[in-house]
Amino acid sequence: MEKVLLRNIDVPDSHTLAVYSSRGGYRPWQEVVKNIRPEQLIEEIKASGLRGRGGAGFPTGMKWGFVPKDSPKPKYMVCNADESEPGTFKDRLLIEKDPHAIIEGTLMAAYAIQSHTAFIYIRGELAFGANILERAVDEATQAGYIGKNILGSGYDVDLIVHRGAGAYICGEETALLSSLEGGRGWPKVKPPFPATHGLFGCPTVVNNVETLAALPWIIEHGAAAYAAMGTDKSKGTKLFSVSGHISKPGVYELEMGYPLMKFLEEDCGGVPNGRRLKGVIPGGGSMPVLRPDELEKVNLDYESVQAAGSLLGSGGVIVMDDGTCMVRAAWNLARFFAHESCGQCSPCREGCHWMEKIFHRIEQGEGRKGDLELILNVSGNIMGNTICPFGDAAAMPAAAFVRKYREEFEEHITQKRCTIRNGVME
Amino acid sequence: MDPIKLTIDGKEVATTKGKTVIEAAAEIGIDIPHYCYHPKLSIAGNCRMCLVEIERMPKLQIACNMPVVEGMSVLTQSPKVLAIRKAVMEFLLVNHPLDCPICDQAGECWLQDYYMQHDLQGSRFQERKEHDRKREVFGPNVVFDGERCIKCTRCVRFFQEVTRTDELSVVNRGDHSTIALFPGTVLDNPLSGNVVDICPVGALTDRDFRFKVRVWYLQKTSSICPGCSTGCNVSVETYQNRIARFKPRINEAVNSHWLCDEGRYCFHDLTGGERLTTPMIRQEGGLAPTTWERALEAMLSGLRGSIPLAGILSGRNTNEEAFLFAKLMKKLSQDCALEVLYQERELSEVQKILMSPDRSPNFRGAREMGVSSNGGLEPLMRKLFDGHFSGAYVVGEDLMGINNDQDRIRQMLQKLSFLVVQDIRMTETAQLAHVVLPSTHFGEKEGTYTNRNGRVQKLNIATIAPEGALQDCEIFVRLLDAAGDKVSYSTPVEVFDALAKEVPAYHGLNYAAIGEQGIQLGGGEAKQQ
Repeated sequence: MEKVLLRNIDVPDSHTLAVYSSRGGYRPWQEVVKNIRPEQLIEEIKASGLRGRGGAGFPTGMKWGFVPKDSPKPKYMVCNADESEPGTFKDRLLIEKDPHAIIEGTLMAAYAIQSHTAFIYIRGELAFGANILERAVDEATQAGYIGKNILGSGYDVDLIVHRGAGAYICGEETALLSSLEGGRGWPKVKPPFPATHGLFGCPTVVNNVETLAALPWIIEHGAAAYAAMGTDKSKGTKLFSVSGHISKPGVYELEMGYPLMKFLEEDCGGVPNGRRLKGVIPGGGSMPVLRPDELEKVNLDYESVQAAGSLLGSGGVIVMDDGTCMVRAAWNLARFFAHESCGQCSPCREGCHWMEKIFHRIEQGEGRKGDLELILNVSGNIMGNTICPFGDAAAMPAAAFVRKYREEFEEHITQKRCTIRNGVME
Repeated sequence: MDPIKLTIDGKEVATTKGKTVIEAAAEIGIDIPHYCYHPKLSIAGNCRMCLVEIERMPKLQIACNMPVVEGMSVLTQSPKVLAIRKAVMEFLLVNHPLDCPICDQAGECWLQDYYMQHDLQGSRFQERKEHDRKREVFGPNVVFDGERCIKCTRCVRFFQEVTRTDELSVVNRGDHSTIALFPGTVLDNPLSGNVVDICPVGALTDRDFRFKVRVWYLQKTSSICPGCSTGCNVSVETYQNRIARFKPRINEAVNSHWLCDEGRYCFHDLTGGERLTTPMIRQEGGLAPTTWERALEAMLSGLRGSIPLAGILSGRNTNEEAFLFAKLMKKLSQDCALEVLYQERELSEVQKILMSPDRSPNFRGAREMGVSSNGGLEPLMRKLFDGHFSGAYVVGEDLMGINNDQDRIRQMLQKLSFLVVQDIRMTETAQLAHVVLPSTHFGEKEGTYTNRNGRVQKLNIATIAPEGALQDCEIFVRLLDAAGDKVSYSTPVEVFDALAKEVPAYHGLNYAAIGEQGIQLGGGEAKQQ
């Protein structure tokens, strides 16, 4: 498989313009800004089948197409570098090792929607990465790739790196826009949608780092080459962040459709220390966990994971072995979501903390009869009834853990403690 | 405006493009429960109480933000919707304190009301509730309880969008979210009391009304605020014959949903204090109680013998009273000088949202009834100071309080050969009078005010006047009678019919048609202030 996203990261000083250029960097951008019309660019990306890599998997070209071309308002392009999904660290790698790919992709996306002001919204905790990005933007500006009348094309674009201030919710596109506008990171009610009413009420597109970083390769090699990889509906390659009880954690690039178990056992070296697999979260902390018996036929693409009852999401693969107390794991995630809920709408604001309190009680040995039904019911009341998908993100894992490991939860409640010893319940 | 047809609960609704489902439903009388939605504020969409089912859409949608689409079918009573309402209620009550027994909002609390209408199930929350600041004073009129707050943000949006003073914001995240004052500010803008009205729960409550009386004991009477000539529509709410509070009534032609703080609390000064309960007459050694017969007789002869006459009517007297007053004074003396008390002051930008620069709610009506012959109050006062008048009849105002020149006004009043004062209390002006007549205040009257923009609006009797006081109308009618001009009308309805015939601008107006929203002089709707 040819590397699309990780092609540069092992080269020393890959984050510098000198190295990036020497490997062909910014040639696609020059081609785009001088010889390709915005509509052509949109069609090319549609043809590639590229889908958003932040978690939602929305077709990128189609998203760009929603921006009204005739709108008199300024258009904005935003790169979502607020990577905060538990178990996900792929964007961070690209930011630190291949910032220019991200910049080049952002510029192309801005060009496609005819935006003249682009932002990279990077989570505040990634200070190291933000510094690298800012230096890279300076380099690219000096080289004339950013600014006025780029390479004599007549196209202007500004690129601003903006740091977030420590909120997972600012990864949700409308909350990101609220934050970028200087307000609280509160998601906005939809309709209207960002494509028509986004940043400052103007047409806006928000794309993930990984999505944008793929654009230079696609333009260089052509949409057909990208679409030749992957499956029917999940084209191209994706980065997977593997962590947890696995021999070789790290960021891997795989062609879409690669079998999950093969990936874990062969490429990632399997579960270490002679332990056995107990559960895998395939797409980041907000996706339902899958038991080993559910993993056999799962391939790493959007459709296959969905058929198994979970979602590919951000591709954050969290591996748990049989020494893991699933009650504690569920509580850990519930605590994360309770802490990160923005608090705007009532089901999420009250429900996330409610579930966290129940999980904590169970974990501490004070579980009660009816607690599990309550968690399932409360999570069901949150799902689909909130302003943004955060509610779903908090509700899905809570319900999944309880359903998939019901026996263990019940044991933990009746025994008033975790009874896992040597990989089994006592 | 493109027409749109949709069905809500099987009923067809004909509305226009741009409306939301909640608005369309309201047009046919279907009330979709909600907290954060308010017709005069931006859409927040955070309470989730208005979730409804739209056929062919997989997820429930919030009615407050869902635009109507041709052919849409909305269900507001489906099993899914009824279930989610219970769920939202349960969520809102998770951290809500069990304050009902000590909370002022009880009886008009939307959590209570919706619980009874849409929930009636016990909460399954059995954990430790989150706590927050209680009884935190936000300003002179508003106190905040963080635990009761459901974060609907109506208050935040009100100060961002209506007064544009931005005192409040949401701070912190998740279930520690709370409402906070901007550091260093106090919630004292001229419209601050409105957030108490719009807060659906007891999070923002009125300091003036705190713990006074349970709202279900209040008798509510529609009336008009006597604070200024904007004529905001109010509900005068009383208990045991005392006014407990004002609440605004909705009138899009006048005050929309709002009431200014000055108007909201003006009833204290206008109705308080020890009331006059008997006519008084000046004798050796000062004022002494007397009978109505003797008082009116002395008054007529005293005024007739003290030409030229000045008559000053309060801006809080009704059109009916002004009409009779003008008739009476002209009967007593052809060239009497009449004016309604009217003084202007500077208003701040926020005040200008609602208030008029005066404190005379019916100055326009009074002038149209004929209480206007001297080119305004200023010229009349100057003539009084010049000693031009011998006698004066002052109704409903304490002249000693109209400016800082107290000594000069006292001297002027003392120089009058006959002074009659008609008021509700023994004011400083009344103490200098020869005859004092006990009358009623705005809350005890029925009648009409004409606001600055020419809208005729109705006052209704909210409290009963004390024994011994008479309605101003009644006093004027008795005087007219004694002066030889017996009139056939005496009740407000009858007087209004008479003035409608005699005052050209009021021709054809029907008292019964005034109703709860008033009628505009000249037929057209005056532009909202």
